[in-house]
Amino acid sequence: MTLHFVNLLDDLRRRSLRMAALVEDILNEACEALLSGDPALARRVILRDEGVDAEEVEVEKEVIRLLALYQPVGIDLRLLCAILKVNNDLERIADCAINVAERAKHLVEHPVHRTNTELRELCNVVQQILRRSVQAYGGEDLESAQAIRSGDTIVDDLYARIVQNIASEGATGPKSTAAMLDALSVAKNLERIADHATNIAEDVIFLATGQIVRHQQ
Amino acid sequence: MVIMDQPQGSLAGAAKAEMRPSPVSAPEPAGETIVRIENLTIRYGDFSAVKNVSLDVYRNQATALIGPSGCGKSTLLRAINRMNDFVPNCQVDGRIVVRGRSIYDPGCDPVDLRRHIGMVFQKPNPFPKSIYRNVSWGAKINGYRGDMDALVEQCLRRAGLWEEVKDKLKQVALNLSGGQQQRLCIARALALQPDVLLMDEPCSALDPIATARIEDLIDQLKTDYTVVLVTHNMQQAARVSDRTAFLYMGELIEVEDTHVLFTHPRHPRTQAYITGRFG
Repeated sequence: MTLHFVNLLDDLRRRSLRMAALVEDILNEACEALLSGDPALARRVILRDEGVDAEEVEVEKEVIRLLALYQPVGIDLRLLCAILKVNNDLERIADCAINVAERAKHLVEHPVHRTNTELRELCNVVQQILRRSVQAYGGEDLESAQAIRSGDTIVDDLYARIVQNIASEGATGPKSTAAMLDALSVAKNLERIADHATNIAEDVIFLATGQIVRHQQ
Repeated sequence: MVIMDQPQGSLAGAAKAEMRPSPVSAPEPAGETIVRIENLTIRYGDFSAVKNVSLDVYRNQATALIGPSGCGKSTLLRAINRMNDFVPNCQVDGRIVVRGRSIYDPGCDPVDLRRHIGMVFQKPNPFPKSIYRNVSWGAKINGYRGDMDALVEQCLRRAGLWEEVKDKLKQVALNLSGGQQQRLCIARALALQPDVLLMDEPCSALDPIATARIEDLIDQLKTDYTVVLVTHNMQQAARVSDRTAFLYMGELIEVEDTHVLFTHPRHPRTQAYITGRFG
């Protein structure tokens, strides 16, 4: 393959990493808007979705172009496949983060107090997972990716606790049903973000080893 | 010309019995080793072109040999039917076993060997004779006693050339296009009912359409034959072969199922070569 292709591939990889950083930032701001009860910040976060969508399409177009023109193999093929899949997961993460920001606007008016501690913890854990996944992706770090993949259960446990708390609040207190549904939606979206971040770690494993570990224990 | 009713794929089985006894009578099951290369070293004078290579070629598969110029892939290919015997100062150590028989043993007749292991070269090299005689020649001098017209037609059909030449069989083969000439050479090789077909960059002199036809043909030929292919075109190796062997400076660096070698090669040198980082 030509040096020209290697440079194009490197440019695309950097572009994908910039998109990852952008999505990470959107999640962080969405969580901040949620936890600090800042509707103005939530609105600003929502406006950033369009940029992610546009970038997702541009990255995908470039992957297809390079596949068509250069027919890469080996590590180059694996990198392009990984970029394409990570690209999709990043866009989905941004969508979920936007959903969190949407719900954050409502929860400012109707806080669901008993879930606050768990939601805060869930936000922290999910932000950490995404940060570590993006770092593993940037550094093509197999060990980190494998560790992320094996540490996903903490999110599931937190999510289960939040669902349980919301259910018990609904049974015992006069809370707003809308607020409880918002809290549930936030928790669900954060849990989905963790799943997508774990997918990114699995793509890093594929990139490094050629093994598809998805759907395996 | 007699029109045969038999399906194209029956050529190897049907006509083989009339031609000659096979070196080993019982056919081996698919996936079994048909050519075993053991610790093969080939020297031209002081220069070692192939160094201690061991490689199994499986029946009814296409095996591609890839590597940069001078890596020894064509030398290795030619060793399989002893074409290197014609090269002065060429010394072969190690063994090549074809269907259980060591081909460099003193008792092995290289002419007989080449009837079982056909070869197609980089540049199409039809005889300056008619299309018909190009195909029938080898069978005739080897005492074929069956229906020659039928054999010629079957070989041309098998090589995907029949429809294009059926009305001009008596015309000189040199008038055909490059791609047609190469398919004629394949038909000529098939007329001897080989077990293995060696192809040394068979598409390097052809345009993309002719190349695609040869590649399709290789895929079809695997039903009845075993193909070993040398190619500089890595995408071609990826498209047509089941297994790929990468050679570098005479050494076999890696042999692997093609889809694995082109997605996740084990050796860094293979990785560097297939991704164009060197070579």
